[in-house]
Parts: sequence; C-alpha cells; structure tokens
Amino acid sequence: MDLFLLHLLNGLQLSMLVFLLAVGLTLIFGLMDIFNLAHGAFYTVGAYAGLTIFRMTESFWIALALAPILPFVLGAAFQYFFLQPLVLKGRSSHLDLALFTFGFMFVTMGTIELLFGPAYATIVVPAELQGGVHILGITYPFYRLFIIGLGLTVAAVLWLVLDHTVFGAIVRAGVDNREMVVGMGVNISLVFALVFGIGTALAGLAGVIAAPVLSIFSQMGLSILITAFIVVIIGGLGNFKGSFYGAIIVGMVETLIQAYLPELQLFAIYILLAVVMFVRPQGLFGPKKQTL
Amino acid sequence: MQRFAYGVPIIAALAAFPFAVAEYPILVVVEVIIFAIYSMGINFLLGYAGLVSLGHAMFLGLGGYGLGIFSVLIGWPVLPAMAATLLIVALIAFVVGYVCTRTSGIEFLLITLAVSQMLYGLAVKTRWTGGDDGLPGLPRPDLTWLGIDVSSVTGLYFYVVGVALIVMWLVWRLVNSPFGSVLVGIRENEKRMIALGYNVTWYKVVAFTISGVVSGAAGLLLGQKLYFVNPDIMTWMISGEGLLMVIIGGRQYFIGPLLGAAFFVILKEQLSAITQNYIIFFGLFFMAVVALFRTGLAGFFIGLATRRSASAADRTDTHDIAGEADSARAPASHRPAE
Repeated sequence: MDLFLLHLLNGLQLSMLVFLLAVGLTLIFGLMDIFNLAHGAFYTVGAYAGLTIFRMTESFWIALALAPILPFVLGAAFQYFFLQPLVLKGRSSHLDLALFTFGFMFVTMGTIELLFGPAYATIVVPAELQGGVHILGITYPFYRLFIIGLGLTVAAVLWLVLDHTVFGAIVRAGVDNREMVVGMGVNISLVFALVFGIGTALAGLAGVIAAPVLSIFSQMGLSILITAFIVVIIGGLGNFKGSFYGAIIVGMVETLIQAYLPELQLFAIYILLAVVMFVRPQGLFGPKKQTL
Repeated sequence: MQRFAYGVPIIAALAAFPFAVAEYPILVVVEVIIFAIYSMGINFLLGYAGLVSLGHAMFLGLGGYGLGIFSVLIGWPVLPAMAATLLIVALIAFVVGYVCTRTSGIEFLLITLAVSQMLYGLAVKTRWTGGDDGLPGLPRPDLTWLGIDVSSVTGLYFYVVGVALIVMWLVWRLVNSPFGSVLVGIRENEKRMIALGYNVTWYKVVAFTISGVVSGAAGLLLGQKLYFVNPDIMTWMISGEGLLMVIIGGRQYFIGPLLGAAFFVILKEQLSAITQNYIIFFGLFFMAVVALFRTGLAGFFIGLATRRSASAADRTDTHDIAGEADSARAPASHRPAE
C-alpha cells in the first residue's frame, strides 16, 4: 500500500511535467491550427537556459524564474515572423506548417548540440527543496512534491486566465471563431504570438524543473514530447481540460505499468493510444467529430 | 520511344559506374539507392495518398530483423528468408495501416510515430534478437549464377541496383495504374471519392501496406549491406530523415525521393567531415523547401527542363508547344497537394 502511494505520487509528478508540455501544444493547435512538432525543442531550450543561468548565478530560483523567458521570446518570434506570414500567404496546409516546425526542431536541436556538446548535465536541487516529507507513512522527496505543486498551480492559473479574464475570452473566442475575433478589432497576430510564446515558455519551464530529476542533454525533449503527443491526442487536440486529464491518465499508466508490469513498460502508453484511436479517434474529451 | 531514349544512357551509366571509380564512392551510391527505395516507400503514402508518416523507420528495422530472424535464427536459406520477411512486413504493415489510416493529417503522423517507437522499444528489449547490440551475420543472396559476386563491393552494387530497378518499376506501374489515380483522388478530395463509391478506407490500408513493403525492402538491403541490423535504424530520427529526403527531393514526383536521398546522403557525407551538426543545415533546408520551394529539387529540375524545351520550341512554333509544356508541367498526378 505504501509502495502504491509512492507510485501514485511519482505518476502525478510525471503527469504534471507532461501536462506543462501538452497544454502548450493543445492551446497552440486549438487557436492557430498549428501542430508544433518543435515543442520538445523548446523544452530543451528551457532546460539549457536554466542550466546556463544556474551556472552563472548558482541559484535554482533565478534559473527557474528567468529560463522560460528565452523559449517565450523564441516561440513568440518564431510564430510572429515565420509561421504567421506563412499562414497569411495561404499556400501552406496544416501539414506544411507542422513540417515547418519539424525542420525548426532539427535546427534548434543541432544548434544546442553545437553550443553545449552532447554531454549530460544537471541542475542541483536547491537546499530548501532537498530532503523528504512524511506523508501517510511514507517519505517522499520534497522536490518531486514541488513539481506536482507547481504543475497544479500552473493548471489552476491557466484555467483562471482562460475562464475569467478578457485575454482568456479572446483566446477562447479565437478557438471558436477566428474571423469574428478579428472583426471585433482584436490584433489576432499579437494574440497568436503571445499564446505561442506562453506555450513554449511552459515547455521551457517544464525543462527547467525536470532538470534536477532527469538529466539535461541535447535530445532530452524527444521522448517526453512523444508522451505529450499521446496526451494531446487522448485528451483531444485543442482541448485544454482534455490535456490535463490526458496527462494524468498517461502519467499514471506509464508509472504504474513501469512498477507492476515492467515487461510492458515500453508499450503501455502506445497501446493506450491505439485503443483510444480505435474507439474514439477524436480523443476521449473532444467533442464528437462529424463523420464523413 | 522517347522514354526508351532516356533509359539507355541511364542504364549504361549505371552499368559503367562501378568500373570508373574507387570502392568508397560505390558504397555511397549503394547507400543512396537503398535510402531512395526507403523514401520511395514514404512518398508512396505522402505524395500520392497525402498521408505523412513519421514512423517508416519501423519498416526499415522490420526488413532487417525479419531477414535476421528467418535466416540467422531459424536457419532458412537466403531467398525464402527474404520472401518470408517481405510477407511478414506486409502483414504487419497491413495491421498497422488498418489502425493508423483511421486518422489523417497530424493524428496520422503522430500515431505512426507512436507505433514505430513501440516497435523500436520491442527491438531494444527483445533478448533473442540481440537487444540493443543488434543481430549480426545477415546473409546476402548467392548470385553466382548471374556471374555476380555479391560479397564484393561491385557485386553488391549490381545487386542493389537490380533490386532498386525492379522496385521502382513496380511502384511506377502502381502509381500510374487506376489504383494510383484513386489514391491521388483521395489526396485531392476524399469526400468526392467516397461519393463516387470508392472504399476509401481499404485503398488507404492497401497503400500503407505497399508503402511499408517498399520501405521494408530497403531495410532488407540495408541489413545485407551491413551484414547487420540493430535498433538504431528504427529510431524516429531515421523516420524524420526519410521525411527530409522526400520533402527536399520533391513529394509527388516519382524521382523526388531518389533526388532527395542522393542529396541527403552525399551532403551528409561531405558535411560530416566538417561538422557533426549537419542536421542544422538539413533543418534549414527543409524549412526553406516547405515554405518556399514546395516542389523540392525534382520540381526545380523538371521546371528547368520544361522551360528550356518550351523556349527552344518557341523559335519554331509558339502556340502548340507552349500548351504542351503547360500540360507537361502539371499532369494530374503531379499537382501539389493542399
């Protein structure tokens, strides 16, 4: 029972990391119809920005606070100067745009490897977050609880912003009917760039907070990105709440299978994906799609 | 007749090539041809049916592992082992295709990626195929009855070229058959094809199966070239590189994958000497092609050729040939997909 609780908490921690990536993916897709295959690159950029700041200042907190700025600026600029003009030119299909981000991922990863080399690195857990906490008879690393708390906080803040602010209303309106929002006089290009930047900043944030638990290396964004893809498909592309529930489901399945059925570890979430695709191709939480 | 006139010098050049250069360039060309077959498999789905797969490295791996399992582990002779491998690849591609083609667009790309990651995991985990270390000792077929010694570099070259010509001929026949036209129809307007009474689902599944078998054949050849197969050729990076080749070479053009593979393999050789980070350049090139030159290298060269023939004809008869050049530039199956 104690062990089970431990696995549950580990699952929740993984869920929160994946959620930070998945929510950006799903928001960007919902609003702009762009599937950002480079999302994992921003996760990596965030981790390396954090690492650089950490090496300069020796402070985890400064790294945590400042590192997401780089992926934010990079993401917003990428959307504003490259993707949006492509969309406006009107020649590129959804798939072209996704492939464009795919190329961008190669460029970003190659650049990171050029700058930092292929070696592994890590950020040390700050003293305040070291040690364990006793909960319900088990000792659990404080830092992992911190990740869970941060993930839940981000989810709550995003929900508040999306549901209860003007900016959130614009974003939701943009998802439903873009032309209408433009007609209301909203500078949609700016909103798009901001949302893209927020999405990539969250991916970068995930990279920083993952750094003390997982190692930093130039391809670190890949495996977690595939997990995030699975989350957004299971949750329904473009569905904010779906990405949260999807992240919990995938994180739990992954962790519990790893603990109790290690032979299936590499397949569990893919089998889950295949089953969901078969039963509800539009995702568990998406609205029912019109069939042809 | 005109096509025949093009064919003769190409065949002659292919036959004379290995006698004109050293061993290393021959091996590079062998690799180009193998990856051309691989990306031709990808393009069969992408260019004709409009489905972008990011998981075709799984078929590269399945081709190699299939041969390894049937010949090395079970001990069958080479040719039955190769036939059995292609059959198994077809079966797996059929099942995978049946699941994956329920989706399209981005979801299709992601689910093929997921399936290939799953098979990659399987290859890493399975102890009796060598796990991470891979499976050595893959045999090449005995072609001494043709006077070819496949253990030599030149022999390998002729073997691979021969297989490639057969595969390309088959794919050429397929894309120019009614089946190929239906695929293009699905790419252009799926609803209309359904309305016309075509069973779109099955066409897609069959296209996926063929595409998988073609890429699987490339995996078979790659395993035979290296005498070895390991999980590294099943990573998503290899799937991504295949996609780079197709897009850079020019999707929807039959020769696109060939040009893309040549460009990719040769440039990679050159860049690797300078920097390990050649992938940056391919990334930039890829973005440029997707954004600006949507027809890729093949479109560029075909555009050049038709423009030249059109301007040459201009001097004799403007009206007739200009119309002809127009139709040559955009035949139905070569129109870019939206």
